[in-house]
Amino acid sequence: MSSLGGKALAKLRAQFDWPLAVGTSAILVIGLVNLYSATRVAPGKLYSQQLTWLGFGLVAFVVVAAIDYRLFERLAPILYVACVVLLLAVLVFGRSVKGSKRWLGIANVGIQPSEMVKIGVILMLAKLGSDEPVELRRRGLPTIFTMLGVLLVPVVVIFLEPDLGTSLLLYIIGFSMILLTPFWWGHKLTAFLIAPLIALMRLSFGLKLYQKKRLMTFIDPSSDPLGAGFHARQSVYAIGSGRWTGKGWLHGTQNQLQFLPEHWTDFPFAVWAEEWGLLGSLALLGCYLFLILWALGVSATARDRFGQLLALGVACLLFWHVVINIGMVTGVMPVVGVTLPLVSYGGSSLMTVLIALGLLMNVSIRRYSY
Amino acid sequence: MIPGAEGAASGGRGYRLLATLAVVTFFLLAARLWYLQVLRGDHYYRKSADNFVKEIQLEAARGQVFDAHRRLLVDNRPAYNVYVTPRFVSADSLARLATFLKLDSDEAAHLRARVADVKETRRAQQMLAFPDITRNEMATLESHKAELAGVAVDARPHRFYPQGKLAAHTLGYMNQVGADELAKQRDQGYRLGDYVGRAGIERQWESYLRGKDGFERIFVDAKGRVKSDIDAFEIESFAMLHGEPRRQEPEPGNNVVLTLDMDLQRMVERALARHHSGAAAMIDVATGRVLALVSHPSFDPNVLTGRLTRAEDERLSKDPFRPLIDKALRENYYPGSTYKVVPALAALEDQLLAPEEKMNCKGAYELPGHTFHCMKSHGNMTQHSAMVESCNIFFYHLGERVGMDRMAKVAEDLGFGAPTGIGLGGEVAGFIPTQEYYRSHGGFRIGYTLNTAIGQGSTKVTVLQLALAYAAIANGGDLYVPLLVDRIEKPSGEVVQAFSARLRHRLAATPENLARVRSSLCGVVNEPKGTVFDFRDPDLPFEVCGKSGTAQVRKNRKGQVAGWDTGNDQAWFAAFAPAKEPKIAVVVLIEHGGLGGHVAAPVAMEIFRGYVAQQAKANGIGDGDGNGNGDGDGNGNGKTRPRAKAKLKVKAGR
Repeated sequence: MSSLGGKALAKLRAQFDWPLAVGTSAILVIGLVNLYSATRVAPGKLYSQQLTWLGFGLVAFVVVAAIDYRLFERLAPILYVACVVLLLAVLVFGRSVKGSKRWLGIANVGIQPSEMVKIGVILMLAKLGSDEPVELRRRGLPTIFTMLGVLLVPVVVIFLEPDLGTSLLLYIIGFSMILLTPFWWGHKLTAFLIAPLIALMRLSFGLKLYQKKRLMTFIDPSSDPLGAGFHARQSVYAIGSGRWTGKGWLHGTQNQLQFLPEHWTDFPFAVWAEEWGLLGSLALLGCYLFLILWALGVSATARDRFGQLLALGVACLLFWHVVINIGMVTGVMPVVGVTLPLVSYGGSSLMTVLIALGLLMNVSIRRYSY
Repeated sequence: MIPGAEGAASGGRGYRLLATLAVVTFFLLAARLWYLQVLRGDHYYRKSADNFVKEIQLEAARGQVFDAHRRLLVDNRPAYNVYVTPRFVSADSLARLATFLKLDSDEAAHLRARVADVKETRRAQQMLAFPDITRNEMATLESHKAELAGVAVDARPHRFYPQGKLAAHTLGYMNQVGADELAKQRDQGYRLGDYVGRAGIERQWESYLRGKDGFERIFVDAKGRVKSDIDAFEIESFAMLHGEPRRQEPEPGNNVVLTLDMDLQRMVERALARHHSGAAAMIDVATGRVLALVSHPSFDPNVLTGRLTRAEDERLSKDPFRPLIDKALRENYYPGSTYKVVPALAALEDQLLAPEEKMNCKGAYELPGHTFHCMKSHGNMTQHSAMVESCNIFFYHLGERVGMDRMAKVAEDLGFGAPTGIGLGGEVAGFIPTQEYYRSHGGFRIGYTLNTAIGQGSTKVTVLQLALAYAAIANGGDLYVPLLVDRIEKPSGEVVQAFSARLRHRLAATPENLARVRSSLCGVVNEPKGTVFDFRDPDLPFEVCGKSGTAQVRKNRKGQVAGWDTGNDQAWFAAFAPAKEPKIAVVVLIEHGGLGGHVAAPVAMEIFRGYVAQQAKANGIGDGDGNGNGDGDGNGNGKTRPRAKAKLKVKAGR
């Protein structure tokens, strides 16, 4: 390393966002501890696989944080298009698991482009929304519709896989971003009115039978005790039975005796809540809240509008993932496959969240440098 | 650089709003967690425990049933049962199970439906799918264990009736408790697949015989695999939460000792066997103890308690001889001439008839519109000779003289028209008509009274009622409640409850009048003109007294079955013996057998012969049961048995 590298390191140390790193690490540690317990009864080597992914994810985090985000602003259209192409590739070449194509197999590794595309969409929306206010006001509606278009293309493709949960989640994240972009309120209102119409149309069309069933069992869980509602019910039992302090690490009976199906992907929070109780649940919830508030803070102090919207996008990503996942496992929302950031098993999800947090770190580090 | 004022992210205010929204949302999630983990924590803890705790039922051994000499009538034997745990059993394993057990599609569908019908709260409990499979089937299932998730084979005691058809109606049988019953008797601790007594002693003494099942709680994972290594922590906290132990030993049921004598019972059954259908009862006249109670034909309770096939079930319920009906106490019959004791006693009691008063029988009795006939022209008849020769005309006069309601009173006094209280389910009351009854059913006419006097018309009795009435006449006027259960014992032999003879009431008739009736009944058998004289058994060491009856039935009943004319008369013989010091009363009914004296009396004579032989044998081995030889304790088995025997004053032959 040259002296230049040394100087950069010193600068980095001065501007490094320690609270963000600590918050992220805290959740990562909780995630690993929890995943160890959750995958103990799982087939294969899920845990060591996840550790490998974490290694890659941390490298990606550092790389993404290191490169000035203005480069990403310029690359946003390319990254976005690349993501959409990958998504389309899934539709064509994808591996079919349980009746839906969500995975792209590359040299024995399955990746889920529907996770990665969130980054592409956030970058693209941030770029489109970062024009001068005057400009935005003048060309409000066209911009809003461009943004909606940018959002809807991957949303529809994912919906076709079909993956209702991920599609809906991306839509919510993107739509939140559009809402938070500083358009004139009149334009926004127009968008408000149109967007729900689109959502309604989507719902009335192509909901698969199992998706409708899940929604129905959410409305009346007793209608199907051993089918779709079974997951939700067992998840609630797991969480509730944790009581104040939990049953102890590795001692969660719902988890260890496999009454929670696929608990390492969609229901790790139930595992955590069962084994660590309310205190553990609130601690994890607190970590997420801290991270989200911190991302809002980063956005508020970002040096440019792109950085601002990018940080907001990351905040939206975290917020909706956490709220929907925990809402789902606690039985207040229907069971749709939404992961819990940094805690759920799964390489694509972990990579995506770490890259998003890398971007957040990027914006945070560069907020004072002009 | 600050975004435009319109943006939600506009400056400090916009961000504060967003932050507040995030905090509020997370607060709501935290509130939900508080609700689940703190407010409802114990509830969900129990739910999660219910997931992995599986209760294995430890079945209580059901009590045995013994005869009066402590010989086994009902027992348990080891059997292999197939159990299914609905939560863990798959459609595949059910299909395989059906193949291995060679079920037909009907049975397989029935099993599937039963599994599907189990309520959510009971799905983790084992239910009995098939009782008593063969050794081969057990071996097949055992060797395919891996493909039969949720299916278990267990050795459990199965109800066994070692004597087969013997006394089947009295003993009853068992089968599985139904889902609707479970719902009704939730608090009684029955579980799906449990066996419950369905008839006779099994049903009536269910709560004594049954005992109390125990349980053991084992730990399983979601696939039903047993986990022995669940942490002590879990087990303790689980026990704390449920407040119940992990294991509870079953309490075996109590034994029931009957008054029935197995040898007598078998002997009476054999005596009836040559006829198509009938019933008989043998009562100890001094105590009302039931020594034998037979309904013929019988059924094998082992068949009904096991895997009863539909075909077998159909065969039993469609059998024209009605093997499932207990004809001794669950069926009413016209008593015919056996009922003549009623008008006779009524007339004597009311002094409407002098003992030697004569009435002339010309073979017919004319009423306006209808002529009642006698079998022949008997000439001048007294109460005694009319009874001996069974002259209907005499009793028509008698009936007319005392009136229907007076006869009903006496009949009631003799125990007719009401269940005897033997304590077996479904006992019928019989029917004693009154003028009031006829008035409310289309009008009373004197003809009804005449019919009633000879045990026809609307008069109906049961075999058991008749036996008890004759026992009361024989013993000098004590009408007993029949005693079928002598005592209840714990498995250790300790007596829980002993029953002694229960007097229903004393007859209103005076001993003199009863003696007169008795002497007439003895004349029926032992005087040359008596209707049963030709069928008496001179070799018997005592004289038998009794009354034959030939009760007409409605002829419009259809058909003949296998040489059995269902329009034929019911053949009765109601008797007691010995004449001097009566000990037992015997009533025989041969359904559609024909003439009572010709058909039923010989059967009764055979029964008396059997009784004598049995008594001789019993005396030979030192058990002088009720024979005046004292309570010999050492019987042939060398066992001493505690006998809670009722000490009774023998009132017979006063």
